Amino acid sequence: MNKKRARAFLAGLLVASAFCAVSVASASAAPAWRFNGEELGGTETLLGGAEKSGLSLLGVTTTCDNFLYQVDIWNKEGTGEGNVVDLPLFNCYTNTTCTVEAIEAESFPWPAKLSTISSSNYLTVKGVDVWILYGGWFCPMWGWWVNVTGSAGGLLSNATESATFSTSSFKATGTQLKALGGSVEWNGFFPSEGFGWNREEALSVS
Amino acid sequence: MESGRGAERLLSPRLRQASARGVLALAAAATLVLFGCGEGSPDDRAASTPTSQGRQAEAGGPGNEPAAPGPNPVPGPGTQASSRQGRSSSQGEQGPGSQGQPRPVELPSGEREKGITPQQRAKATVLTMRLESPALASAATAPGGVVTLPAAYTCDGKDTWPELTWQGVPEGAAELALYVMSLQPVAGEPFYDWAVAGLDPSLTGIPSGRLPKGAVEGRNSSGKVGYTICPPKGSSETFLFALYALSKPLAAKRGFDPNAVRRDIVMQSGNSGGMAVSYGRG
Repeated sequence: MNKKRARAFLAGLLVASAFCAVSVASASAAPAWRFNGEELGGTETLLGGAEKSGLSLLGVTTTCDNFLYQVDIWNKEGTGEGNVVDLPLFNCYTNTTCTVEAIEAESFPWPAKLSTISSSNYLTVKGVDVWILYGGWFCPMWGWWVNVTGSAGGLLSNATESATFSTSSFKATGTQLKALGGSVEWNGFFPSEGFGWNREEALSVS
Repeated sequence: MESGRGAERLLSPRLRQASARGVLALAAAATLVLFGCGEGSPDDRAASTPTSQGRQAEAGGPGNEPAAPGPNPVPGPGTQASSRQGRSSSQGEQGPGSQGQPRPVELPSGEREKGITPQQRAKATVLTMRLESPALASAATAPGGVVTLPAAYTCDGKDTWPELTWQGVPEGAAELALYVMSLQPVAGEPFYDWAVAGLDPSLTGIPSGRLPKGAVEGRNSSGKVGYTICPPKGSSETFLFALYALSKPLAAKRGFDPNAVRRDIVMQSGNSGGMAVSYGRG
């Protein structure tokens, strides 16, 4: 191999190395939505549903037997993004004498984004806005209408195709739900799946 | 091959040289790329296989709807659950901390919870005021915002209230009322630990153990006119401090019955503030 050819070969190696470095960096920093291992191209509707999920504030835990979320998802420049567009809640009650007279999620869409933190993948939702009206004469919060706002981060699992929201996932993502400046705890395990073009396909994030 | 050589003959000698170098450079780059850049897991490589973009090519960029309408994503109540039935397992890589197999999304069979109606909105007491205690700023806080009350503010100490501060009293408020209630009823009745009425709406707090002029205390559920936080020995309770902004004066007198005036307070109060504390006795 003469000098010019050797130089060309080295240049090729250099370009390829740079390409690889960029690829690896983006893969670790920006997880994407995938179905059956293939990166999602357009937009898909994702449905997540927890059998039981609870919000705790002022010593009262409000649980809903069914707690769904509907998210429109897509990938933008290799990073998974989305919008929570609906949060239907079913059969809600508390661990006290307080009753849930009404509960409503508002101000949709709530923007969502995937991220990788310490090699774990998370879904972070911003703009959370939920109103709860408590009742029950024995309840100290009788007649109170409470607004829960903020952001929520859930740990994603490819094996179980789920998002788990807990104190540790909130801490990892630096997210917080608040009611009147006080922190609100939200726990829930949400199996999730595509309900549009990618129905019945395995959902993963990487 | 002949046709390739024919095409090469159309190139100038300089271009031929440049072309040869380019082929070498491309070969080097391809070798590296094909062998996975020397890093990354098999999953990473699997992820770089052709994507589903072809199938969804018409779907467009972020936020765009698919080219053709998909199925209704949120089925109504009672709808059969998941599309996941019949799928054995995830094909994706296993995420950290994840165990088990995918579970179907359980769709509820009942009615969706109702949102608040305009009538409820009009009557509701909106939690808009911020009620805090500087004395509890360094106290331990349990998940859900429940602060551990130091013994000094219970019957194990001086049994007097901590300093309280508040913000957000709405303009036009005529009076403030302050209640402390046990979160759980006692013997089937609401349990009032402290009730104060007649607080001037211009106040932004009260010091520990001293009430401002005009304020009156009601008779609590322990039978005392004043404050008592004293759960039974060996138990722990949660107490809710609640501040109400009233649109008209309550005209309550010392020793008033907190249970009797509570409905009036809640009905005429459009705004409240809350703070939860817990105390356990060994």
